[in-house]
Amino acid sequence: MFNRIYKEKGIESVLFFVSTLTVAVLFLICLFLFRDGILLFKETSLLDFLTGRFWYPTSVNKQFGLLPLFLGSLLVTAGAILFSVPLGIASAIYISEIAHPKVADFLKPFIEILAGIPSVVFGFFGLVVLVPFMQNTFNLPTGQTALTGSIMLGIMALPTIVTISEDAISSVPSTLRQGSLALGATRWQTIYKVIIPAALSGISAAVMLGVGRAIGETMTLMMVTGNAAIIPSFPGGFLDPVRTMTATIALEMGEVPQGSDHFYALFAVGSVLFIITFLINLIADSIKKKYRFKVD
Amino acid sequence: MTEAIQNVSQPQIEVENLNLWYGEKQALKNISMQIPKNSVTALIGPSGCGKSTFIRCLNRMNDLVKNCRIEGRVLIEGKDIYGPDVDVVDLRKNVGMVFQKPNPFPMSIYDNIAYGPRIHGVNKKDLDGIVEQALRSAAIWEETSDRLKSPALSLSGGQQQRLCIARTLAVKPRIILFDEPTSALDPISTSRIEELIMNLKKDYTIVIVTHNMQQAARISDYTGFFLMGELIEFGQTRQIFHNPQERSTEDYITGRFG
Repeated sequence: MFNRIYKEKGIESVLFFVSTLTVAVLFLICLFLFRDGILLFKETSLLDFLTGRFWYPTSVNKQFGLLPLFLGSLLVTAGAILFSVPLGIASAIYISEIAHPKVADFLKPFIEILAGIPSVVFGFFGLVVLVPFMQNTFNLPTGQTALTGSIMLGIMALPTIVTISEDAISSVPSTLRQGSLALGATRWQTIYKVIIPAALSGISAAVMLGVGRAIGETMTLMMVTGNAAIIPSFPGGFLDPVRTMTATIALEMGEVPQGSDHFYALFAVGSVLFIITFLINLIADSIKKKYRFKVD
Repeated sequence: MTEAIQNVSQPQIEVENLNLWYGEKQALKNISMQIPKNSVTALIGPSGCGKSTFIRCLNRMNDLVKNCRIEGRVLIEGKDIYGPDVDVVDLRKNVGMVFQKPNPFPMSIYDNIAYGPRIHGVNKKDLDGIVEQALRSAAIWEETSDRLKSPALSLSGGQQQRLCIARTLAVKPRIILFDEPTSALDPISTSRIEELIMNLKKDYTIVIVTHNMQQAARISDYTGFFLMGELIEFGQTRQIFHNPQERSTEDYITGRFG
């Protein structure tokens, strides 16, 4: 009898330990990231870091300005969202509302496979196919541009947007659908006047998670965006090379002397990234919670 | 005068030899029925007898069901609704439906009622009047007139169901189908809806599916008894309940099965 109680307690505490481990890891990452990132501000002020226009980490007059990298990330992500959101929502509507169930069952695994492709493979594809295409189409000195990155990133964010939007649309009760049709609404009126509004918070959560996925992406962008740390112009900058925050860390971390300003600057960039993705996930989560409540 | 005669001579809904299959399974067998104008017709029978399937043939909601096949004719005001030139949107405008579970849209009370008129292109300046009239006819105006902008989902279940009735009325149908409209409601909400249905009879032809035999006896003029996809007996409610012709009707009504 006692034996059994101990066993139960034992299993309980093992599971508790494992689940708290995840939280602990998150806190530790946070701690190390910020601890090293903060050391940059002994030499460079926070304001100079956040608003600096130049990223010259290795020149004689070192400058650690985040702006070119931040705007690079922003431009590439915005471009990606601009085309993957309409495309993703349209696919989600097609799969959940219009396609024959057999067609939907056929399509869904492919979208999930798209999510499973390693980003280096996307990058390779982008480099070999899309980069020359962009160069020829727009007659550019190089095809490695922000737009190239946006397109690749958009494709990579699609599965997230499609699957979560599709989930939100499918969980709209069919009684609403029938109610609308019974009033003489067409299928399309029902979709855009009843179903989409009812699923809107879920769809917004999908978009936010798509953005989160896009901002954190590294390898693909490093391979196709040209990595020039220059503040991009808008909208012409889409056809220029850019450097994202993630690519900067990945490119420079290997060659930086540990304990140098440059080393700490990369941690500071990492901290900024962490804060951005954390906020985005927080927003997505709170939207999602709201919509769960509504559907119940 | 002429119209009155016409009402008697031509039923609002005529069903002729209706058969329906879901895939291989036959759910309705050779149903024929004539439903007069401005009457309440109740359809009763045990679960799975086909009464809900039948009512969904009258506004072609079964079109949504995959593998559903229909034979026979359903004439509404003399016109076959399964004919080749029938516009389902027009049909459903004329034949409204209220569902078992209240299903207000997740929008304001006002927008719920205005939804139908809006999609049918009603002029914006007429909307306020239509919304008020629909809410009044559905006996829910008093409770909602000061909160038209609040979400419909904040209403109680019974209020939501009357809102759904109002929403149906706003499209100005001639026939209203009720698919077990009170089975999810408490007794007080139920009696309000029953009262409402009896009042609506003046202006609409009503067909109601119900599990509740007392309800059928209370509110209907005609009753049809379904059993295993067949219409066993159809006639005046008083006759069905007091003097049924078929043994199974009597057994069901007296509670020997069901």
